[in-house]
Amino acid sequence: MKINFNTYLVALILMSLFLGCTSSPKKETNFYDLEVEKFSSSVKLLLTDLEFLKKEILKVNANKPSVQRILIEADDKWMKEDLKKASSALERGLRIAKDESALYLRLAHVRLEQGLIKESSAFAERGLLNKNASSWELLLLKIYSAQK
Amino acid sequence: MKLSLKLITYVSLIIFLIISIAYISILDSKVVNKLDGVLWTVPAKVYARPLELAEGGKINVDGLKKELEILSYELTKGIPDTPGEFSQSQRSVNIFIRGFGSQEPGLYRLKIENDKIDSIKRKDGISIDLIQLEPLSIGGMFPSHLQDRILLNFSQVPKDLEEMILVVEDRNFYSHKGISLRSIMRAFIKNTRALGIEEGGSTITQQLAKSLFFSPEQTIRRKIKEAIAALLIEIHYSKQEILLAYINDVFIAQSGRRAIHGFGLASQFFFGTDLKNLSLDQKALLVGMLKGPSLYSPINNPDRAKTRRDLVLSLIKNDSLITEEEYLDLKGRSLKVIPPSFKSLSKYPAFNDIVTLDLRKNFDDSDLRTKGLKIITNLDPVVQDYLEESIKDTKLKLKRRYGSQLNGLEGAGIVIDSFSGEVVAAIGSTKPNNYGFNRAINAVRPIGSLVKPFIYLSALQHYSKYNLSTLLDDSKLSVSLPGGKLWEPNNFDKKFHGNIPLHVALSESYNVATTRLGMDLGYSVVQETFTKLGIKKKIPKYPSIFVGSFEMTPLEAIQAYQTIASEGFYSPLNSIRTVESSEDVLSLSYPYKVEQRFRPEPIYLLKFVLKQTFISGTARGFSSRVIEKWKTGGKTGTSDDQRDSWFVGYAGNYLMLVWLGFDDNRKSPLTGRTGALQVWKNFMSRLDPIAYEVRKPSRIRYEWVDAKDGLLSGESCKGSILIPFVEGTEPEMIPQNRKKCRISEESYTAKVLNKIKEAIEVK
Repeated sequence: MKINFNTYLVALILMSLFLGCTSSPKKETNFYDLEVEKFSSSVKLLLTDLEFLKKEILKVNANKPSVQRILIEADDKWMKEDLKKASSALERGLRIAKDESALYLRLAHVRLEQGLIKESSAFAERGLLNKNASSWELLLLKIYSAQK
Repeated sequence: MKLSLKLITYVSLIIFLIISIAYISILDSKVVNKLDGVLWTVPAKVYARPLELAEGGKINVDGLKKELEILSYELTKGIPDTPGEFSQSQRSVNIFIRGFGSQEPGLYRLKIENDKIDSIKRKDGISIDLIQLEPLSIGGMFPSHLQDRILLNFSQVPKDLEEMILVVEDRNFYSHKGISLRSIMRAFIKNTRALGIEEGGSTITQQLAKSLFFSPEQTIRRKIKEAIAALLIEIHYSKQEILLAYINDVFIAQSGRRAIHGFGLASQFFFGTDLKNLSLDQKALLVGMLKGPSLYSPINNPDRAKTRRDLVLSLIKNDSLITEEEYLDLKGRSLKVIPPSFKSLSKYPAFNDIVTLDLRKNFDDSDLRTKGLKIITNLDPVVQDYLEESIKDTKLKLKRRYGSQLNGLEGAGIVIDSFSGEVVAAIGSTKPNNYGFNRAINAVRPIGSLVKPFIYLSALQHYSKYNLSTLLDDSKLSVSLPGGKLWEPNNFDKKFHGNIPLHVALSESYNVATTRLGMDLGYSVVQETFTKLGIKKKIPKYPSIFVGSFEMTPLEAIQAYQTIASEGFYSPLNSIRTVESSEDVLSLSYPYKVEQRFRPEPIYLLKFVLKQTFISGTARGFSSRVIEKWKTGGKTGTSDDQRDSWFVGYAGNYLMLVWLGFDDNRKSPLTGRTGALQVWKNFMSRLDPIAYEVRKPSRIRYEWVDAKDGLLSGESCKGSILIPFVEGTEPEMIPQNRKKCRISEESYTAKVLNKIKEAIEVK
């Protein structure tokens, strides 16, 4: 017996309707939760490859040109391993805009390099609350937030 | 006899010589000591935060105008053409910045669209990302003599200023050896003719010696001592060192008890900018004041000061340092000095106290008073002004309503950036500029219902046991206390409400239900929450602490609420941004400290209820548009017999706490709603903060429930309310009579069909 696509779709819809009537709605999982769950075993591995993460973070730009200028200044200090000044510049950026994921990501990484793991994770968690964050930014933030 | 007279003469001469040598030696060591070190004990300067204006950044135009006014910028009609001016049109603001640090002075045009800076352009049309206004000077850490100065090195002294000083004060500076006989003779003849002191004839070296060691009185004896000291200075120091010492030390003005010394500070004091940014007429004004700082003060005697300035300009013109045209242009300029931002110690005493507390964690007192540190604080002068105005204004209104009952009403208020814990404004009295008892940090008072959110937060962390619709018992309660006494809490409305959902118990601030909840949770669970909120005190183990007998200072209480306002992220309160040494080398930065103390879900639930306080609870009365714009939430607090009126609430990124009451702890007619909330409302209406959108935690789901029994309901069911739950903790039961009105909402079937439709559309 051959089942064409339309028959399959109708069956699927009917099955969905039937299931919908008999059981409670299935809970949705946010994209980034899903992604991290999927790759959860790799997360710890990624945290051991800080150079890879750093490279990825440096590719994340700010939306506002003023914050981007601050990011360039902070990245310059970061490259020179002046973590204190890099951190100060990033905090200056946060005072201007609290909705720039690029700042949270860098602060999470800089704090990690400073040996402040709890703070690194806290900055990442804060970044996760940013409504404007892209899926990729959220995924990166989730990696740092997993350090607890 | 003859021999003995001769002997006496010799002996006297020898004694005189010995005394003279001893005197000169002492003076010599004083000269070296003072010029090498003691003179350069420079008090720390305290500044507000510099306002950064960023392309794409959010802005409140009224706030910007207020900031410019506080910084003594002058509103002009056309395009500003001198530093310290600004103009405003419908969608733009033009500012001629005075310059500060690396920020160059110049004209900048800000285009503003929908509370955002659309673009910033320089005069030449070039786009700029970021500009900075100079920070307001708000105080200092002064030594007992209250001399204040900013030390300059020689490269920071403009050449034209140096030339101007020499033309006016000492033309032969580079040729004499400390004293100029020609000048002394000229002064002597003039004074003899006038039978009094009319002219000094002192060289710059002598003036420096006078300023360092002697009183201002003009006597022959003092003149001789001054001349000796001048000679000694010339022996030990080069001409350049002497001139620099003079430029740094000369007395230029008095501000309250504070003495303004040196051109570096004078430039900031009179013109609000660095010396390098001053125009020639401004420098001439300062040089002119050297003859008599009080007599030629541009603040007290502007006409005299202008005449004197013009004289200085004519002298430099005569020496060909400027052309005739330049002279006429400069002479035509008005003085344009700014009023002193503060007199004596600090513009904002209560905030200054908090800064001092923070500084003492890292610096000792002598460092603060002598090392010329530059302390950039987090103070926002606009927020501070709004805070001061709102407490004064509200007190006046309350006094009109309650009359003499409010005589002696005191208060405190603190505003922080809830995101970072930065303290941006503080007052410790209803007379904010008064020194004395600072209630913001020292008044330890029962916090009333401000404690309740801490108890509910303890509960909401236990998802399996408590959610917002969990029923709490608000019927009569008797608690046996040690010693056999009974304690029976009551509600503010003197009624009991039976079983009520948790969110109602909190938004209506019911005491009995909260006490039961606290006791069910246990002291140790509540203590744990207190600690996570940053409260260092141990809670006493008696039930009244659950309804507000717990005592805190306003500063401690706002710290606890910071974590709630900031989505569960604790940041210790901090009033300082950076401390720099006088050479602009960073000494100490105060980085953001963030720690996640609570999961976002229970905080989300708690904040939902704190928002209800504004919608239907004890802070009701705001429009829904305002509540949404500010993303606000808060809690009123009233202690027993209305001795304390509290309100704490967040709006945008700001968290503000207000306390009103009496120092003698007497009863007041004010509740949290009728007192402290009114100050908060007055303040936030002025500030009109702009909030950032925060992502809803992924495990939060909204569900229609009945407002009374907390069971499932539907949008079209009567008495239903949409409230958040942590996924999996929603009520499962739905009463039979509500099934019909629940079905009419978007069903799961409809959701599935919509999803398929969306998927096909995307394809």
